[in-house]
Amino acid sequence: MTFTDTNTLLLVVSGVCVAAASGLIGSFLILRRMTLLSDALSHVALPGIALGVIFKFEPLVGGLLFLFLSIFLIWGIEHRTKLAIESITGVLFVTALAVGSLLIEEHDLLEAFFGNVETISSARAVIQTVLAIIVLVVTTLFFKRLVLVSVAPELTLAEKIRPSRMELLLLTLIALTISIGISFVGVLLMSALTIIPAATARNISKNLKGYISLSIIFAIIGLIGGIFIAKTYAINSGVATVLISTSLFIVSLFWKRD
Amino acid sequence: MKKEKSPLLSVKDLSVSFGNSTIPVLKNISFDVNTHEALAIVGPNGSGKSVLLKTLLGAIPRSAGIIAWKENINIGYLPQRFQVDHYLPMTVKEFLSLKQLPRYSLQEIAELVKAKTDWLGKNLAHLSGGELQKTLLAWAIFDKPDILLFDEPTENVDVANQESIYALLHQLQDTLGVALVIVSHDIGIVYRYADNVLCLNHDMLCYGNPKETLTAKTLTDLYGTHTLIHDHQSHKNYDIH
Repeated sequence: MTFTDTNTLLLVVSGVCVAAASGLIGSFLILRRMTLLSDALSHVALPGIALGVIFKFEPLVGGLLFLFLSIFLIWGIEHRTKLAIESITGVLFVTALAVGSLLIEEHDLLEAFFGNVETISSARAVIQTVLAIIVLVVTTLFFKRLVLVSVAPELTLAEKIRPSRMELLLLTLIALTISIGISFVGVLLMSALTIIPAATARNISKNLKGYISLSIIFAIIGLIGGIFIAKTYAINSGVATVLISTSLFIVSLFWKRD
Repeated sequence: MKKEKSPLLSVKDLSVSFGNSTIPVLKNISFDVNTHEALAIVGPNGSGKSVLLKTLLGAIPRSAGIIAWKENINIGYLPQRFQVDHYLPMTVKEFLSLKQLPRYSLQEIAELVKAKTDWLGKNLAHLSGGELQKTLLAWAIFDKPDILLFDEPTENVDVANQESIYALLHQLQDTLGVALVIVSHDIGIVYRYADNVLCLNHDMLCYGNPKETLTAKTLTDLYGTHTLIHDHQSHKNYDIH
């Protein structure tokens, strides 16, 4: 793999932006104890990806539409029934997985499950980069409120912050992040980009700034390393990213932060 | 104490019910809170004290009555329970930096709550009960509120530190001119620091100056037939039959 090739360079730039967004959003998922949400929610994109493959439009767009539809469903059902978000996601994700598997052919199904950097077109890489930058900018703009709602929702009562709106914003950012990450690592391995880097960062961080910065850095190392291995050794990029991220996590377990 | 004409908070005939229940959690509650005033809310567990504070903040809808806050009032609130994840990587300084519109510097806020010099750099998860309460107090006054609503401010603090938290609150009330609404189980504290007390057991059983209002009969009506009350300052017990 050479970075002088424009397509590869574009892929790497897109990978860095997508990984940074995933690491940032992943750190919020850990803070909010919603670690399985991104994993489960990523499966919801499958029917949308399938429709993209069948009707020849960008699968990323199909996945994104289904993710948005599901987060509004999750948010609406949660506020009507007070069921936990993860319970509602549990119902939706198995349904989506079943519907998606019915619609999509086996070859495309494997690609959707584990990702494939070879199929990322320049156009898709550009869309992914733009969406990743949007996630990074919006999260930065609402950073204080998102952190407060995540770590101390009780304190928002007098702060003129509506927790339900912040929850919807976070769900939207999660959906955007998943939609741009699944081309690299697939719907089954999305937590390699969100949860594992954040969990690794938390193992070794003493403060919030270090935690979030390291989560982003570990996600970038995992994904760019995964792309490099996929391009060099013809190994699936999702699988390579998981193995790199997990290796970093194992090392972090032996790190004493105090 | 000089009182302004319009109170900071005026509550009239407030009632709250949950769902389709016909039994109200709060029934016909009325009181005022004026500038610099400390109002204590007392009552047994499950009497609706926390519900009252959350209703005042608009987090729980009222079924009837009026809640009138002074225009553009800045409210500080500290909840009964504040759980910190033991693995939360966040210093006190980072936590306080989450405040939207702070009116003091971090150094000033540390001095106001009489915190030790290393407090700002400590991890939130490693604070003692007293330090955590000081941190929450710092959070609550960081944007210079006109009124502070405290839901049992010393619930997770050991007995030795409880008095110092109340003394600090009282001092902040004088220094900052902030009004206080405090839910407390400690009747001794109420006698010493509160200008007014509201006895709550779903209904409003009393409202007024503690020394005049909190009679043995009122306390018996409020807490049951046999009540033992401990005053931390005098170390006396009040045994009420």
